[in-house]
Amino acid sequence: MTDLPATVETIRRVREDPHRLGHRDHGPEGPVKGAGHGDTGPANKRIVVGYGFWIFLLSDIVMFSCFFAAFAVQRNATAGGPAIGQIVEMPRTALETGALLLSSYTCGLSFAATNARNKLWTQVFLLITGLLGLAFVGMELQEFISLAQQGITPQRSGFLTSFFGLVGLHGLHVTIAGLWLATMMAQVQLKGFRREIVHRLICFNLFWHALDIVWIGIFTIVYLMGIGP
Amino acid sequence: MFGKLSWSAIPFDQPIPLITSIVLIGTILGVLGLVTWKGWWPYLWKEWFTSVDHKRIGIMYVLLGSLMLVRGFADAIMMRTQQAVAVNAAGYLPAEHYNQIFSAHGTIMIFFAAMPLVIGFMNFVTPLQLGVRDVAFPTLNNVSFWLTASGALLVNISLFVGEFARTGWLPYPPLSEATYSPGVGVDYYLWAVQISGIGTLMTGINFVTTVLKMRCPGMTYLRMPMFCWTVLASSLIIVAVFPILTATLAMLSLDRVFGFHYFTNTAGGNPMMFMNLIWAWGHPEVYILVLPAFGIFSEVFSTFSGKPLFGYRSMVAATLFICVVSMMTWLHHFFTMGSGPAVNTAFGISTSIIAVGTGVKIYNWIFTMYGGRVRFSVPMLWSLGFIFTFVIGGMTGVLLAVPPADFLVHNSMFLVAHFHNVIVGGVVFALFAGLDYWFPKAFGFRLHEGWGKAAFWFALIGFWVTFTPLYILGMQGMTRRLQHVNIEEWKPMLDLSVVGVAILVVGVVCQVIMLVVSILQREKLRDVTGDPWDGRSLEWATPSPPPFFNFAVMPNVEGEEAYWGIKLRAIETQQMSPMPKYEPIEMPVNSPVGFYTAFFASVTGFALIWQIWWLAGLGLVGAFIGFVVFAWRDVHEFHVPVEEVESADRARRASREALMARLAEQGALP
Amino acid sequence: MSDLDYDPHSYEAPLDHRDDHAPGDEPGESAGHWVANSNLGLGFSVVLTVAAFVLAGSHLIYGPAIPVALLVLAVAQMGVHLVFFLHVTTGPDNTNNVLALAFGVMVVFLIVVGSIWIMNHLNQNMMPMDQLMRMQP
Repeated sequence: MTDLPATVETIRRVREDPHRLGHRDHGPEGPVKGAGHGDTGPANKRIVVGYGFWIFLLSDIVMFSCFFAAFAVQRNATAGGPAIGQIVEMPRTALETGALLLSSYTCGLSFAATNARNKLWTQVFLLITGLLGLAFVGMELQEFISLAQQGITPQRSGFLTSFFGLVGLHGLHVTIAGLWLATMMAQVQLKGFRREIVHRLICFNLFWHALDIVWIGIFTIVYLMGIGP
Repeated sequence: MFGKLSWSAIPFDQPIPLITSIVLIGTILGVLGLVTWKGWWPYLWKEWFTSVDHKRIGIMYVLLGSLMLVRGFADAIMMRTQQAVAVNAAGYLPAEHYNQIFSAHGTIMIFFAAMPLVIGFMNFVTPLQLGVRDVAFPTLNNVSFWLTASGALLVNISLFVGEFARTGWLPYPPLSEATYSPGVGVDYYLWAVQISGIGTLMTGINFVTTVLKMRCPGMTYLRMPMFCWTVLASSLIIVAVFPILTATLAMLSLDRVFGFHYFTNTAGGNPMMFMNLIWAWGHPEVYILVLPAFGIFSEVFSTFSGKPLFGYRSMVAATLFICVVSMMTWLHHFFTMGSGPAVNTAFGISTSIIAVGTGVKIYNWIFTMYGGRVRFSVPMLWSLGFIFTFVIGGMTGVLLAVPPADFLVHNSMFLVAHFHNVIVGGVVFALFAGLDYWFPKAFGFRLHEGWGKAAFWFALIGFWVTFTPLYILGMQGMTRRLQHVNIEEWKPMLDLSVVGVAILVVGVVCQVIMLVVSILQREKLRDVTGDPWDGRSLEWATPSPPPFFNFAVMPNVEGEEAYWGIKLRAIETQQMSPMPKYEPIEMPVNSPVGFYTAFFASVTGFALIWQIWWLAGLGLVGAFIGFVVFAWRDVHEFHVPVEEVESADRARRASREALMARLAEQGALP
Repeated sequence: MSDLDYDPHSYEAPLDHRDDHAPGDEPGESAGHWVANSNLGLGFSVVLTVAAFVLAGSHLIYGPAIPVALLVLAVAQMGVHLVFFLHVTTGPDNTNNVLALAFGVMVVFLIVVGSIWIMNHLNQNMMPMDQLMRMQP
């Protein structure tokens, strides 16, 4: 048995206080249509998926920023070992940067092809993106191995730990994105441009571009700022 | 072959963990056996474990959190009693074990009790209040739950295989580094928290997207219930700061396993960076917990005063203010670490400022009650207890925010009393209020009021009798985490605290009895209308429990307090709104991907802890295969036929009409 | 005020051009326009990247100003990526995306700048761990 005194009280109060000062509605009267921004009901799934992934990306950027912060704090903690100037190789860095930037470009082109529902060009550009990404990771592995062969390992000092940690984390992300790319290529080939495949391609695009944005931070702060004149 | 794992991992030589493990394993096997014998597995699998329904997931979260709350409370009982008996004596817990207990207590309470409980409420209530059918990413929601459960599983396994961390609930280096904690304890902590942290991050993403992009027609931002605003703010903080936790724990793992030098005290490592980063997560974390708690109180105060929430827009502003400023105060956890006056002053000021947001909220709640017809139901009692308890706790917090004062009481029992004051008074009281408030919606019958009130009074009195002595002891100089006590003068206060714990135990027993009695008397306590409290927001427009699709047709919102307007109009015109045109509804299908992912996460976590590398690899591969299999699924949704939608809604309308008829009979209608 | 407390229209409608956009997505845009954007993005990025590489380790500008200049170039290039590749603009259909980005940037700023500020002060006031350890008997 429920008791509803409050409802009745409210009706009486409204009758006595028709202007309902301090309790005015916010927003337009009546059902609202076409105003966008969530007033017309739940958003379309394409928007929901894209926005959710955008939020995830921002959280990933926050995680990277912790590794950047650690690098900033430990950049001089060389413990008698090599400093940044001694481990940076500009030609290789330039090649890595070029490869990743180009791959971002081809990724964008592949999405243009997706929008045009052109399966061939989507796959071609995705493949090129993947190969460029593979080249990037390959060069980074080469860099790490050659450093390790000189005894320059993350276990040597705090500075090297944060260097390998930050650059390695980015490389790990690119590798995982590469696995994702391969999966997406298989799905596009076998299932075509179904709604959820396109949604996933939107997410993949966001991820790949975000990785290039993080790389801009890395090559600037770690590599370029490391070399003195 | 098995890494560091061997038979010596089982604590045959330690009676307390051994006996506890045997009892726990026996109970678990008993429950599993019962379920098997009764043939409940298919039902549980189909209806609960693989469910993507936010209501079911919410209930599972609350169940998980409640079980872990009991385990954490058991740790607390052990700690309080040990300190009371170990005054110039050895006590009954050796230091090795005591250190694990206080570490487990904190870890469990924050990560596996409070977070799941709060997230459980967020899950159950938010889509209903927003007038939609589910969250933005229902399957991801299921994965989040199982990852959290996986973390809880790992923590509990540490009880009988291996050990737990001895570093406190935040594993400060250098103690937590491999040099000084060579055992597996810290690794159990690291992987349990990492895995559940991923689940929580996904929850945060899910709810930010849900609140921002999925609301029923007409529900603009300023027409959302206050609870949904706090869910948004809390989820924004989750998204912003859980990556910090992931990063920092990953760095510590790299140090421990691969010999990196992030936080070591040699070769250029910087242990203080750990404290800096972990508290950059840790302070916002408590706001993640308390903001939805504040949201629950907003709902309860307005419903049980029969008035709209006072100062809605200032509440929204205060919530967003707290959301942003909470990320600017973290240094107050290590004022004494030596950052100097400039830094300390800046963070001391920001910490004091954030209290203003909460102050605004407290005044708004009080003004909500003023001029209303206050009903002292169980949720309202918890809320009033909260106002009293939390305000005092907050004041001790402002005291701690002053760096010179903090230098005296940092890491003393004063600090311990403060944070329990705000967490118990704020979060725990809110959870019990919310439990009583939304239980009828979830299960279709109310909780027994008498036992609920008893539970409240024992909890309130028990809390104050437990923690006031600790405030006093802190002021007298007692440090935290003491396994034994050398100062005789402190004994009376320690004993009084144990009396408080006994009162709290009675309170917990009352809660259990309340549940049992309510279930036994459920027909008498049945909620037939779906609106047992004269509610104001949309969840009360649904039957109790709601159908899995929540609303037959999505409501159309025209003002704040959407349901209140609908109800008023129905009562004034003495008729229901016209019958809507029903359409088939698309709902997401269930999925086992969450369970499989968590299974492989647990395997991988266990393997990484014990350094069984081949098993870790296998776990990761298994998880990847699971993702790919899930990604290959062709059917994502199923259609609910019009007939089913219509019949559910007709039943709801009939019960509402019956309610109105009954009220008209009683002459309660104008 | 309408008489209905439910919404009479179904919401399976296709994308409305007045709706929000997800970042990186502009369903109404033609492929040609998209490719043009990508070309511009690549062009600007190449210029900014080359400029940064040339500037680093050179004597083209006052030495201590080089790190600042590099940061400016980096931020500019991140902006180019956001606008040309991710289509995060300041239009009304992008407000949620921009707000989320601003929130993320704020958090990153707090963590990085906050950590550097705090740790710097700590290191000034406290003996470094290495020295402390060497003092152990």
